[in-house]
Amino acid sequence: MLYIHQASCISPQQTFAAVEIDQLREAVNNKLQVIEPSYDGIPSGILRRMGKAIRIGVGTALPLIKENNTSIDGIIIGTANGGMEDCIKFLNQIIDYNEGLLTPTNFVQSTTNAVAAQIGLLSANKSYNTTHVHRGLAFENALLDAGMLLKENAVANYLVGGVDEISAYNYNIEFLDGWYKKEPIAAADLYISHTIASIAGEGAAMFFVNNDNTNATAKVTGLQFLHTEDEQLVAEQLNLFLEKYLPAGEKIDLLLSGENGDSRLIKYYNACENVLNKQVPVARFKHMTGEYPTSSAAALWLACFILKGQWMPQHMLKYTLVPSNFNRVLIHNSYKGQQHSFMMVEKAVV
Amino acid sequence: MSRIFVTGMGSISAIGNSVTENHKALLKGKCGIGPLEMFPTRYASLLPFGEIKLTNTFLQEKLQAHEPELTRTTLLALHAFEEAIADAQLSPQLLKSFDTALIGATTVGGMCLTDELYRDANKTENGSAYLSSYDCASVNMYLQKRYGINGIINTINTACSSSANAILYGARLIKNGWAERAIVGGVDSLAKFTINGFNSLHILSPDICTPFDEQRKGLNLGEAAAFLVLEKEEAVAGKRCYAELTGYCNTNDAFHASSLSEEGDGPYLSMKGALDMAGILPEAVSFINAHGTGTENNDLSESRAMMRLFGNVPAFASTKSNTGHTLGAAGAIEAVYSILNLAHQEVYASLNFKQPIEATGLQPVQSYTKMPLEHVMSNSFGFGGNCASLIFSALNEIKSKK
Repeated sequence: MLYIHQASCISPQQTFAAVEIDQLREAVNNKLQVIEPSYDGIPSGILRRMGKAIRIGVGTALPLIKENNTSIDGIIIGTANGGMEDCIKFLNQIIDYNEGLLTPTNFVQSTTNAVAAQIGLLSANKSYNTTHVHRGLAFENALLDAGMLLKENAVANYLVGGVDEISAYNYNIEFLDGWYKKEPIAAADLYISHTIASIAGEGAAMFFVNNDNTNATAKVTGLQFLHTEDEQLVAEQLNLFLEKYLPAGEKIDLLLSGENGDSRLIKYYNACENVLNKQVPVARFKHMTGEYPTSSAAALWLACFILKGQWMPQHMLKYTLVPSNFNRVLIHNSYKGQQHSFMMVEKAVV
Repeated sequence: MSRIFVTGMGSISAIGNSVTENHKALLKGKCGIGPLEMFPTRYASLLPFGEIKLTNTFLQEKLQAHEPELTRTTLLALHAFEEAIADAQLSPQLLKSFDTALIGATTVGGMCLTDELYRDANKTENGSAYLSSYDCASVNMYLQKRYGINGIINTINTACSSSANAILYGARLIKNGWAERAIVGGVDSLAKFTINGFNSLHILSPDICTPFDEQRKGLNLGEAAAFLVLEKEEAVAGKRCYAELTGYCNTNDAFHASSLSEEGDGPYLSMKGALDMAGILPEAVSFINAHGTGTENNDLSESRAMMRLFGNVPAFASTKSNTGHTLGAAGAIEAVYSILNLAHQEVYASLNFKQPIEATGLQPVQSYTKMPLEHVMSNSFGFGGNCASLIFSALNEIKSKK
């Protein structure tokens, strides 16, 4: 479907620049907030006006742009909420000042397409530019878009990514809606909690992709997603996915599972684990990223990191079964028990 | 790759609650822009709006949609969606098929409930019924659930070009083999949030908008929903088709967060890209449904881009003078209007135009005109420089390809 050449990630763990993910960085008040870099590449006047989602989105994209700017034929971003902080800041002004005279900065920054737009603006890129906002499948649609573009334009290169932020406001909304845990919990204990809901997360992950296998980090060979609340249907779809994307006689070396400590969602993850051979090692990532709609982008970054380095931290492993080598990773994510996705990621054959 | 045809349409706007009503209103040159009546805002009587004069209660009854979390945005989308699928005669079984896609666009989503969102976002107990309804995805999540749609579902937000991008994404899903048919479109309802946002940018006109007029004072916000059913050539034998989607292109102006470059590079490139894809020369375009918001910036940049690309600019008009600027719905409702142009071989008057922009001298179509139309272009340009152009072509028209 597509080859990933460079991957970049700002997350609650040390994933940007010098990567160090063996030591787990803990959640504070059930929130895993990103480690922000100094953003040397963004002019300070522009940086000051950027909300967090735009900052981390642009900041993650910049290293990829620097290396490849002349050859980026499109910018494709998945984000469920974009600049939520700016959005509610503007909304608060509307109500608090009873629709008085307001400054437009927060409004302009609040539109969900602002991340892709800012990346386009800063890199003077006039080509394809779009923003997919379909909640827990926003990144999957962005990746599908990139895959289709590469079928339509065989020699092109694209920047594709996912980004979402935790703001005080969407934390409140999601908390009220029962998606974040009421009791304080350590990220490391997420999977043994047996209560409903998860911990909040945020992050940005960006990928430079094309059809060329030369020097590629990884390749995405399969992608599928669906809407249902029926775990049996999810399992059925995984079976069909494997028939289609797992070559006969080949095996999956690692299942990267989006398990998030929410007792209501474990049935989806169990159903998919049960579809796979019991010998397939299972790893989890939400204790590193927290739960957010485009966390699957961070999962794809992790898959690339694991495939490239042939190593993963112990704290990700669900069982003691340790993979000997990593050639093929299956990512499964279920968002709120309504939106489910599978991505097959393989080591690029040199 | 397959050719893509439009086999169904649905629309609701300030000038009509169905495609037929919208068509009748366009024929008469009806303007749906006036005082706001459906919700309180300090701008209700100060600024004109393209409001749909149906209450949420009426829509809930009519659509039998009583879930407490439903927003006006979702209700309007449902209204247009139901018309489109009935028009294309998509059965409930076909809707549930794994190869039926739903691609919708919106910029405001559930934020039409601006006051409710304010309350929910700023407290930590006793949330409202709308907690899962504020985001853009909530609209299509509801449609998915109501009809059990199993194919690819997506929501796109590229500001004011959102639903043009939903249309081209759906077409590409079909062409790339990810769907057999796609229901594509967009919706936005009027909201305190967008009214205050656009007002803070000083681009809302105190009067009814006058697209492409030298004296234009800005845009009027409107609300609308529209969906098209797209099917591939192989599937439409014996089915009623309205038009073929022959060209589309998405580009970025890469100039400013909320305004277009003076020369309209993004608009130029999106129009040119759509022409290239359709495989037609500029002179083959019979008519342009322009973005034409009525702002100082858009109309000048769009005019310049049209002049640069076409030399002799074809007949053009802005239906935003009928409906107001319906943001995330604009690309879809104007696609419906472009298809009506083709289906009836007629163009509708751009309203309220008096004096050409001095720098361009361009004049939009000012009266209802019957004319032969082969290819109609529809433009949508948005904040963040997000530009998209679509080309719909008459069904019997293949000879003008270069």
